[in-house]
Amino acid sequence: MASEIEVGSKYIPEMAQNEIEELRSSIKAASIKAIKENLERMKKTWPNRPKTMEYFDEISNFFGQREKEIREQKEAGKKLIGYSCMFAPIELILAAGAIPVRIGSGWYDAAKLGDRIMPVEVCPVIRSTVGAKMVNLSPYLELSDAIITPLTCDGRTKLSEILSDYKPVWYMTPPRVKDDPQSLTLWKEEMRVIKGKIEELTGTKITRKKLKSAIEVMQRATKAFRRLQDLRKGPPVIMGRDAMLVTQTSLWDAIERWTQKTDELCDELEKRVEQKNWACSPDTPRVMVTGTPMLWPDSWKVPNLIEESNPQGVLVADEQCSGDRILYDPVGVDEWTMRDMFNAVSERYLMASTCPCFTSEHGNEDRVNWLMDRIKEYKVDGVIYYVVRGCILYAMEYARIKRILDRMGLPVYYLDTEYTREDVGQMKTRIEAFLEMLESRIDI
Amino acid sequence: MISAGIDMGTQRVKVVILKDNQIIAQNQQFSGFEPTKAAEQAFQEALQNAKLSREDIQHVTATGTGVEMATFADSTISMMGADARAGAYFFSSARTVIDVGAEEARAVRCDEKGVMLDFVVNARCAAGAGTFIEAMARALEVELDDMGSLSLKAERASPINASCVIFAESDVVSLIHREEPKTEIARAIFDAIAERISSMVLRLGINPDIVLVGGVAKDAGFVASLKRRLGTEILIPEEPLYAGAVGAALIAAKRAGRRQ
Repeated sequence: MASEIEVGSKYIPEMAQNEIEELRSSIKAASIKAIKENLERMKKTWPNRPKTMEYFDEISNFFGQREKEIREQKEAGKKLIGYSCMFAPIELILAAGAIPVRIGSGWYDAAKLGDRIMPVEVCPVIRSTVGAKMVNLSPYLELSDAIITPLTCDGRTKLSEILSDYKPVWYMTPPRVKDDPQSLTLWKEEMRVIKGKIEELTGTKITRKKLKSAIEVMQRATKAFRRLQDLRKGPPVIMGRDAMLVTQTSLWDAIERWTQKTDELCDELEKRVEQKNWACSPDTPRVMVTGTPMLWPDSWKVPNLIEESNPQGVLVADEQCSGDRILYDPVGVDEWTMRDMFNAVSERYLMASTCPCFTSEHGNEDRVNWLMDRIKEYKVDGVIYYVVRGCILYAMEYARIKRILDRMGLPVYYLDTEYTREDVGQMKTRIEAFLEMLESRIDI
Repeated sequence: MISAGIDMGTQRVKVVILKDNQIIAQNQQFSGFEPTKAAEQAFQEALQNAKLSREDIQHVTATGTGVEMATFADSTISMMGADARAGAYFFSSARTVIDVGAEEARAVRCDEKGVMLDFVVNARCAAGAGTFIEAMARALEVELDDMGSLSLKAERASPINASCVIFAESDVVSLIHREEPKTEIARAIFDAIAERISSMVLRLGINPDIVLVGGVAKDAGFVASLKRRLGTEILIPEEPLYAGAVGAALIAAKRAGRRQ
């Protein structure tokens, strides 16, 4: 009987209130420290860091102004809709007047808590997100009125089930093959259901006018993002970590203000290009990362090592759902009818994604093509293939990607790590050797 | 041109002094609890052997796990970079250099100039490195140096599932209880390490000639197992333990030359 199995929580163990409080305050303190340290390290690497970056530094604080702002807006009646990965339709959330925010966790210490429910073989991004929820750590997750959970990898599939112990969870099932005729039909149906749920929660009908305006807001964000990306194609005028931070804050910031601030940063950087005021030497090896998302703040571990290494590297591009994939693709609308706009939103979230959860007889060629294009456009000298243990889809696609990069004559290094600070020494040795190799190739 | 290379290994510190790219002195010390002191001592003794003083050395480059403890070095180089350089120095035909040390194994692909082209590391696992042989020698109650000759007498290897030092040790204990000959257990141990190392090398592809360096290269039992697994000849320099230090010293000479 359904009623018998539905008593109490499905996964989360009972925890005493004082234990929750203690753990939350210690992990929160560690997080604030990690944010501060990352920012200091970034400033040290780039002493001439523009003042326009300070805005993003503030937004990067999970327990600061932005949290306060969201609380106030919620009190005024707005709804907050969390999402666990990039298949959630931001335009539909905005059109209903709700606030979208991504809830994946980059907290190393929270992953240890997740170990109480899941074995360590499970991807730490998932363990950490669950751990954060166990002690009510993430203000954005806590404030969410509902969570959209696209069922992409195995980790996220079960994550939604676990989160449903606490919050209304709205599943979305993306097809695993993009090109089959039924795929888009299925996906549009999923979108339609989600649209209905968003409308029901917010009590707002998504009208043609509202959707058009939301699409335009996101198109402007994409434009600002692409402007920033264009600046990374030349000699390094911004360090990779700073560009990553700007991009990642778009996941929880008020998007229109974010767009304006990103444009201000680009104004400054364009001036610097004219002055040849580079963030580091133009000879610095240009590195691209691909693989598991690197979530702020603790997963800045590898970017920190790359840009502080001796010899130094500079991150010029990535192929990650925590970075360049977030905003790169705009929704392309032919006619501003409700039907066309809705179809365009659906297609954008399915067809533009290069997630390794897809498969095809050509071997997930969209991801391969994205990588190859970026490597040429951004004059990449070497690729770091970043995988956290348990991230099976990215780990499995490595052999495929390695073969392509070998053919292009581009060095690639498979860097496997965990949500831990203990392997920094080993990571450093490998990253230094890789950059040394890139540097000696540039010398030749 | 006189240069020096220091390899700050997990177990030993090695120092090599080069004059016009020829080795004129070398020394090694146990790293112990104070690797910085060990490095200074090894450096001093090497200087004495070469009848030189610190001022005669134009550039010192350090490498190895404890590279940051070599406080008196002028520059550093990664272990993989040093291996590649040393491999091509010992054998101009070297295209792959395998380095098996106390706690880590690596393989590096290089070109004829000793420039590293690709590398793989077997870290976070002691089953592919020297300390594994030490642990197994203890379990078998034989001297470490006798393990190699013991294994070479075996006609077959005992079956062990040595994916991990801890599990392998209990495997070995049960083999001893079953009264398997020590020779065959010893061979099984070397086969197990060679298996791990060769699967690591295969990730780079087999690019001959293959050069083996690091302390474990001196162990005839391991070398025989690795040759069998890889199915190719393996070149070993006279002093494989010093390869990292030689590579670092070659880099030091190049860097000193560049500054002049």
